[in-house]
Amino acid sequence: MKRLIPALLLALTACGAPAAQDARATTLTWAIETQPITLNPQLWSQNKVRLLVFNQFDALISRGEDGSFQPWLARSWQVSDDGLTYTLDLRDDVTFHDGTRFDAAAVKANLDQFRTPGYNPAVASIQLRAFKEAKVLSPTTLEITLKEPDALFLDFLASPYAGQVSPKSLKNAKDLEFGGLDLVGTGPFILDRYVQGQEIHYRRNPAYKWPPAGAAHQGPAHLSEITYRFLPEAAVRVGALTSGQVQVIEGVPATEVGLIKKDPNLALHTALNSGTAYSYYFNTSHAPFDDRRVREAFREAVDVDAVLRSVYQDTATRAWSIVGKRSPFYDATLERTYGGDVARANALLDAAGWRERDAEGFRVKAGKRLTVREVASAPFVRDRRDILSQAIQAQVKQNAGIDLQVRIVDQGSAQQALDQDQYEIFGNSRGDSDAGAALNLILPDKASINRTNFTDPRVDEWLAAASAVSDPAERAKLYAKVQRAAVVDNAIVFPLYVPADQIAAAKSVQGLGFDPASGTPAGAYDVRIGT
Amino acid sequence: MIRRLGAGLAVLWAAATAAYAALLLAPGDTVDILVGDGPDTPEIRADIIADWGLDRPEIVQYLSYLWRLLHGDLGRSYQLQRGVGDVLATQIGPTAQLTLAAAGTGVALAGIIALVTAGRGRWLRGAASAAELASVSVPPFLIGIVLLSLFSFTLGWFPVSGAQGPGALVLPALALGLPIAGVLGQVLRGGLERALEQPFAVTARARGLTERALVARHALRHALIPAVTLAGWFTGTLLGGAVITEVLFGRPGLGQVAMQAVTGRDMPVVMAVVLLSALAYVTISTLLDLAYRAIDPRIRG
Repeated sequence: MKRLIPALLLALTACGAPAAQDARATTLTWAIETQPITLNPQLWSQNKVRLLVFNQFDALISRGEDGSFQPWLARSWQVSDDGLTYTLDLRDDVTFHDGTRFDAAAVKANLDQFRTPGYNPAVASIQLRAFKEAKVLSPTTLEITLKEPDALFLDFLASPYAGQVSPKSLKNAKDLEFGGLDLVGTGPFILDRYVQGQEIHYRRNPAYKWPPAGAAHQGPAHLSEITYRFLPEAAVRVGALTSGQVQVIEGVPATEVGLIKKDPNLALHTALNSGTAYSYYFNTSHAPFDDRRVREAFREAVDVDAVLRSVYQDTATRAWSIVGKRSPFYDATLERTYGGDVARANALLDAAGWRERDAEGFRVKAGKRLTVREVASAPFVRDRRDILSQAIQAQVKQNAGIDLQVRIVDQGSAQQALDQDQYEIFGNSRGDSDAGAALNLILPDKASINRTNFTDPRVDEWLAAASAVSDPAERAKLYAKVQRAAVVDNAIVFPLYVPADQIAAAKSVQGLGFDPASGTPAGAYDVRIGT
Repeated sequence: MIRRLGAGLAVLWAAATAAYAALLLAPGDTVDILVGDGPDTPEIRADIIADWGLDRPEIVQYLSYLWRLLHGDLGRSYQLQRGVGDVLATQIGPTAQLTLAAAGTGVALAGIIALVTAGRGRWLRGAASAAELASVSVPPFLIGIVLLSLFSFTLGWFPVSGAQGPGALVLPALALGLPIAGVLGQVLRGGLERALEQPFAVTARARGLTERALVARHALRHALIPAVTLAGWFTGTLLGGAVITEVLFGRPGLGQVAMQAVTGRDMPVVMAVVLLSALAYVTISTLLDLAYRAIDPRIRG
C-alpha cells in the first residue's frame, strides 16, 4: 500500500500535466475600433464587430478557407433536389452557457424568433424571405422548408444571424434587443463584463469541444480571459500597442503601417474583405452621366494606381470589378479593360459635345460646366475615402477638365440628396460574405441601393437565376456576365480598391487570423500566447 | 426659492422643446436613420414606422414625448437598442468623475499660478501668461495626444484607457482641465492685480501685513467674483470637451454617447443629454448664486 500511493500520485500528476498546461491562466487585451450596437447575434449589423460574435456564439455551419461550407453545430446537412428542403443533422453533445441542451428544438426556436414582427425586419425580408417552416424530426434532426429555392440560405446558416442563442434566454433576457450577460450561446467564451465606451470582457468556456471544422485545435480555447478595449482613435491604438498596454489591435491605417513594420517585436497581418469593392457608382438618371462616353471618360481620366499609391502608400489593392478580389465570384478577366488613358478620356468628352473650356479650365457644353457631385455621409466615411476623393478630384480636373465636387455631410443631408436625385456619384462598398447578396441590392431595377438608376432586364434575369441555383460554378458564370455588363458594357461603375482589414500584434501572440467568410478578424478561439 | 424652482423647470422645458424642434427641422428622415446602413425595402420601412409610431402627426409625437418625460420615461434609443435611462445611468458616473476631476485640476492650477505670479516680476508673469495662452488656444484633441504620447506611450506612467483606477483619470483630467486653468488663471490674476492697487491694499500694507497675507486674506476675495462667474462658462466647456476627451482616451461617458447620438440623429438620446446638460446648468447657476453671497457680504444685504 505504501508503495501504491506514490505510484498513484505519479499517475495523477502524469494525467494532470496536459490539463494543467491548458488551464494555465493566459489573458490578452485587444484594442478594437468600433463598439457593438448590440450583443444579440440575431440583430448583428456591424462587420467591424463580427470578431466578437463567434466568441460567444456558434453558428450552424461554417465556411472553410476555400469558401466551401463545413460542419459546425450541424454535423451534416442535405438539400433536396428541388432545393426546397434542408435537413440538418445536429451535434448531440453541445450545451449552452446556461446549462440547457442544444437540440433541434433550440434551432427551431432561434429560426422562429425572426418571425416576431419588428424584431429584425431586415433579416426577415432578405435572408429569410424564402423561409417557410422548421420541423423537429428528432432531437438531432431538423427539417427546414423553403417557399422557393434560395442559393444564399446556406450563407445565412453560416452567418452571425445563425449564432445559436439559448431559447431559455431568448424568453427571459432582460433586454433581448441589446443582449448582454443574460443572452447566452454555446461559444468558446462566456461574456462576463461589458462597459459601454470602455471594454468587453470574456472568460473561457471550460466545457467547449465543438469548434467549427476549420479550427486549428480542439477542446477549450487557449486563452483563459480576453478583454477587448474600445479605442476609436487609430493613433491611440497604435500607441497603446507599441507601449505594450495592449497585445493586439485591429484597424491599422496606412499612415501607421510603416511604424508597425519597423518594430521588430510587432507583426502585421492583413486580409482582403469579402463582398464588394469600394467603387464610385455613376448616376445615369440625368446629365452628364446619362451619356456612356462621359462615364467612360471619367474612368480614363484617373490614374488609379498613382492615386492609391499616394493616398494609401502601397497598402491598397486595386479593384477591377464591383465584386471584390476575395470573392469566388470575382471575374479576373475584367482586369486592365479600362482606365488611365487620358487621351481617350479627352477624345470621348470632345465626342460627347463637351468641347469648350471656361476660365478655370473646366469643360463646358451649352453654357453649362461639366460638374459632377459626390455626396457622402460623414459617419460612413472611413479608410481616408475623403482624401481619396480629393486625389481623384485633382486628376479629373487636370487630365480632363471635369469638375468633381465632393460633399461630406451629415447622414440626413446625404439621404436627402440621394432621395432627391441631387448627386452624380455615390461611393460604396459592402462586406456581405456572399457577393451575390450585395449585387442583389445594388444592380436590379428598383433595388434598395441601386444608386446608378441603371436597369437592364438581362442583368435582373441573371441575378435571379444565380440566386436560385446552388452550384457555385454555375453561379460564378452568371455573376461574371453581370459584372461584365456593369463594368465593361455599360460603364456604370468605377471600381477603386478592395477594402481590407489589418491586425497588428506583439510577436508572442499566435493563432491570429481572419474569418474566411468575411475577411474580417476572426474570434479568439485559436489565439494563444506563444513562447 | 419656489420662483427659482419654477424658473429652473421653465429652462428645462425650453431646452427640451428647442432641441426637439431643431432635430425635427434637420434634414433627413427618422426612418432613414433607423434603416441605417442595412438593407432597405418598403416592407422594412413600414415595419419600422409602425414599430416606433412615426406615422403619427409631429405634434402628437411631441406631446406624447413630453407626457412620457413627465413620467420619468426617457424613451428608447434608436441606435443602441436600449432604454435611454439605462444608457445614461451607466454613463453618467464616469463623466461626473472626469468633469469633477478636470474642474478640480483646472481650478487648483489656476489658483496656484495666479497666487504665485500676481504682482511678481515680469519674467514670471510673462511665462505664466504664455502657458495660459497656449493651453487655451491649442485644441484639446492635440493636448490629449501630446499628453498620451509623452506620459503613456513613451514614459509609461499612466494607462491610456479605461475608467479603472485613479491612474487612468490623470491624463484625461489634465487634457480637459488645462484650457480651464488657462482662462481662469488669467482672470484670477487680473482680478488680484486690480485688487492690490486698491486703497484698501495700501492701508493693509501700512498696517504691516505681508504681501502674501494681503493676497490670501483680502485680495483673493475681490478677484473671486469674476472667476466664479466664469465657472458657469466652464461647465459648458467641460461637457463639450468631454466628447473629445472620452473618445480619445477610450473612456465611457456621456460625451461619447452624445456624439454618437448626434451623428446618428438618435433623437431620444440627444434629448436626454440636452435635458441633463440643462439640469446641470440650472443646478450650477443656483449654487453660484449661493457662492456669491458667501464671497461678497454686500449681496447678502
